[in-house]
Amino acid sequence: MRNPYEVLGVAPTATPGEIQTAYRKLAKTLHPDLNPGDKSAEDKFKEVAGAYDLLGDAEKRKRFDSGEIDATGAERPQHPYYRDYAASDQARPYADASGFADFADGDDAFAELLRRAQQARANRRGADLHYRLPIRFVDSIMGANTRLTLPEGGTLDVKIPPGLVDGQVLRLKGKGAPGAGTGGPGDALIEVEVLADPRFAREGDDISLELPISLSEAVLGGRVPVPTPTGHVTMAVPKGSNTGTILRLKGKGAPRRDGGHGDQFVKLKVILPRPPDPELEAFVSNWANAKAFNPREDKTA
Amino acid sequence: MTMDKREFLGSSGIPVRTLELWLEQRWLIPAETQAGPAFSEADIARARLIKELKTDFSVNDEGVDIVLHLMDQLHGLRQVLAQLREDMRRRAPPV
Repeated sequence: MRNPYEVLGVAPTATPGEIQTAYRKLAKTLHPDLNPGDKSAEDKFKEVAGAYDLLGDAEKRKRFDSGEIDATGAERPQHPYYRDYAASDQARPYADASGFADFADGDDAFAELLRRAQQARANRRGADLHYRLPIRFVDSIMGANTRLTLPEGGTLDVKIPPGLVDGQVLRLKGKGAPGAGTGGPGDALIEVEVLADPRFAREGDDISLELPISLSEAVLGGRVPVPTPTGHVTMAVPKGSNTGTILRLKGKGAPRRDGGHGDQFVKLKVILPRPPDPELEAFVSNWANAKAFNPREDKTA
Repeated sequence: MTMDKREFLGSSGIPVRTLELWLEQRWLIPAETQAGPAFSEADIARARLIKELKTDFSVNDEGVDIVLHLMDQLHGLRQVLAQLREDMRRRAPPV
């Protein structure tokens, strides 16, 4: 970090007026927006502006002179300059071709080149527009047709392909900003946010679900309805199923790219009757084998 | 990322009356939407430049008008020059 007095080229005894004059003189030739083609101008300008931040402020200058703060205390945060955007679509309303209009008017080869270059810029494709679309979990698995309401008004029909994952970006060709001349419109890029479903969780192509079952279904087995993203199916719970038992519904997961499907895993959870049933209590207390089984046997040893 | 008028005024620290003058002069041309003007990053950077011209360099309104007009022409030239370079590269592949 150079001494700010050196940067501005003034003596340490310079008056505030001299400092301001020195800064303006340097800044005018170094400001990045007044030197759009000079990459080094930005660094030099930053240094000069930083020095002026320090010395142009009587309070800061006093503290610097007494050694309380060093030259780095006035470093400027980086910010983008207009020149960084001047070639982008964002700057289109400011575009001005009058600087070379006369050159492009001629009938020589150079004028022809200029006209073509101008034409190529005039026929630029429209910008891509970015949107965000929240969809239901079920729709992310099954696919759906939805409608996106655009912040600038109007709507966009979006076809959600089956098996889509959170954060995936859909590209709708030609639905972006209109282009200029023969440039054609840009695309709409839609980032899909899959909303959580309290029932389902997704891991890769597989889906998991926790299914409450009754005591009698757990002990005796039975056929129970299970929700899947494609609707309810009936699943056989085998005799003697326990909380934590995982059953697989083959092909009920998310569609895979190769044409197959993932699986749905159903984790059983045994729920005792509510409210507590006196008959069950009487049965269990008379049940001879009840105390013989200790489920914590291998855990408490 | 664009800003609406309120966000723009808040982040730039430009008084509302000043902004209205700049819009009137067409120093700033934000996109018009149903919800009012939408300031792009280019508009924000341009506003910062105008502010610096006025406060740091003491350029008066007539001066700002001239600077912006010349700057826009300069960028027009730079863009057509960039396009020319691209055309030439495409036409004459490196051997």
